[in-house]
Amino acid sequence: MRRFALFTGKRLLFTVPQLFAVSVIVFFMIRLLPGDPSYMLAGPYASPDRIREVRSTLGLDQPITSQYVRYVERIAHGDFGTSWRTSQPVLNDIRQRLPATLELVVGAVLLSVVIGIPLGVAVATSRGGVLERGVFFYGMLAGSLPDFWIGLLLILIFFYLLGWAPAPVGQLDFAVSSPDHITGAYVVDALLTGNGPAFWSACGQLVLPLATLVLVYMPLVLKTARSTTEEMLLSGFVVQARASGLSRWMQLRYALGNALPPVITVVGIEFWFLLGGAVLVETIFAWGGLGQYAVESVINSDYAPIQAVVLITAAFTTLVFLVVDILYYLLDPRISV
Amino acid sequence: MRPLRDTDLWHFARLRPGMLFGLSVIILNVCLAAFGPAIAPFPTQAPAGASLVSPNGTHWFGTDVSGMDIFSRVMAAPRIDLTIALVSTVIAFACGVALGVISGYFAQGDRAGRIASTLIMRIADIVQAFPMFVFALALVGLSGPSTKNVIIALAFLNIPFFLRVTRGTVLQVRSRTFVEAAICAGNTSLRTAFVHVMPNALAPAMVHFSTTVGFSILLTAGLSFVGAGVPPPTPELGLMIQVGAQNMITGQWWTALFPGLCLAVTVLAFSLFGDNLRIFLDPTNRR
Repeated sequence: MRRFALFTGKRLLFTVPQLFAVSVIVFFMIRLLPGDPSYMLAGPYASPDRIREVRSTLGLDQPITSQYVRYVERIAHGDFGTSWRTSQPVLNDIRQRLPATLELVVGAVLLSVVIGIPLGVAVATSRGGVLERGVFFYGMLAGSLPDFWIGLLLILIFFYLLGWAPAPVGQLDFAVSSPDHITGAYVVDALLTGNGPAFWSACGQLVLPLATLVLVYMPLVLKTARSTTEEMLLSGFVVQARASGLSRWMQLRYALGNALPPVITVVGIEFWFLLGGAVLVETIFAWGGLGQYAVESVINSDYAPIQAVVLITAAFTTLVFLVVDILYYLLDPRISV
Repeated sequence: MRPLRDTDLWHFARLRPGMLFGLSVIILNVCLAAFGPAIAPFPTQAPAGASLVSPNGTHWFGTDVSGMDIFSRVMAAPRIDLTIALVSTVIAFACGVALGVISGYFAQGDRAGRIASTLIMRIADIVQAFPMFVFALALVGLSGPSTKNVIIALAFLNIPFFLRVTRGTVLQVRSRTFVEAAICAGNTSLRTAFVHVMPNALAPAMVHFSTTVGFSILLTAGLSFVGAGVPPPTPELGLMIQVGAQNMITGQWWTALFPGLCLAVTVLAFSLFGDNLRIFLDPTNRR
């Protein structure tokens, strides 16, 4: 227990400089890139005076260090600036949209784990046959399927041709009013408040985007689960277990103890990737989450939200990898910081 | 030079349909990038018929909403997509390998070297803390959507991957005797690092190259799809899918189906080729 506390403490300490560095990069990103935002904001026909005015409202005429201090101060107070497109504080915008994205990303990661790991282990234990060939070909597709195109195909097939799925209009069908706000994720909120129509509508809307993400991003988990299990089943300690007459089930248990930690890492990587990757799928399904917000901000050169989204997703990633490392430690105590 | 069919690579590839498939699609793409726009049957950036014609004898892949011939545009697309992916990957490869050699070679050197080595790794860590697509989106969005900015953003994001694989090999190669010999013969450390160690540590980065090109094509298309890539009406796969997306929902399936299929096949080809190349170069994997 003491060792665990020590590990977690050290790992947490490691996170602080990481978050600090992330904030530095986000801060400098807007200043180092070509193109002065004040020219963009002031418009193409602005006078030099007007541009200077915009520069000073953005604080761009101050020394860079004091700009940075001010930036960190504001973030610490939860002030990410104001989006000039929605004319709302960015924090409010994000608070509305983040749960929708998390619902999608967490759902996709969970499903990939629940389906991918057992399937990978099953294929590793019973080699040969149709299942293995199928999984082999599916695994080859890892990382090469364009998620936005797969999403469109699913809409074409299940909405247009078969009529099974609802129209891709967002998190709820048009006629359904949103459930009372608790977490912001409609499926969870509707379930908690016992709002039947909203729950079914939200679930129906969730199916296709979730299926897209799982279809495109599960192969990575599946492949890793399969290859690490295969490797462990062939390794010395499992051969020893078999020679000692232990049942197949026990052999598998031994193997899995060593095969699963690498899978956890891959799940973390998948989470990292999906925080960015879900952007495209959100756009197709008009999901109204953080990703779509980022896209709309980028297209409209709305700087404050872009910075905030990048910062928040990076902070999230850092947290995810923190959790991954801790889980890894719990599963495999040989690891040290 | 030996004829191609006598080389080990050819013998290896012959037994692996995945590699042959990857290689042929890559060659096809390179040819299309060179000659595609010239041999396309219709103009690639102007209407060539009625709007939304379904695939037929004249328009093999149909036409999109503004009447442009999709088959011609698909033929012209590699010139944009492959160029962006190749150039950005070459830049990422060069920078990543150079930084990887420095950080790997000096990891056990004097104090200044160790600091430089650690610093490079920490910066790579931080760059990789950002979810890739969001970061690419922000970089291109803030610097203005254009081919050049897409290339720069992709190159920047891919550097850490090349850095890591190179560093790992450099750490192994550095402890070999010939490196000691090179140092004893009076080579400076930079010369030893880049002339003696680097050539022996390139293989993993080269294997990674192919996969990265495929992945960059995917990212380019994704960026264009959301409007943060190359401007329309450039014949680019992501843009074509985006234009077709609205029609796809109302049943004009050909508008986004064919560009997307080409995109998926191309990316798959690069990744299969890369995977097989890795197996080929790793003797323990060869059966």
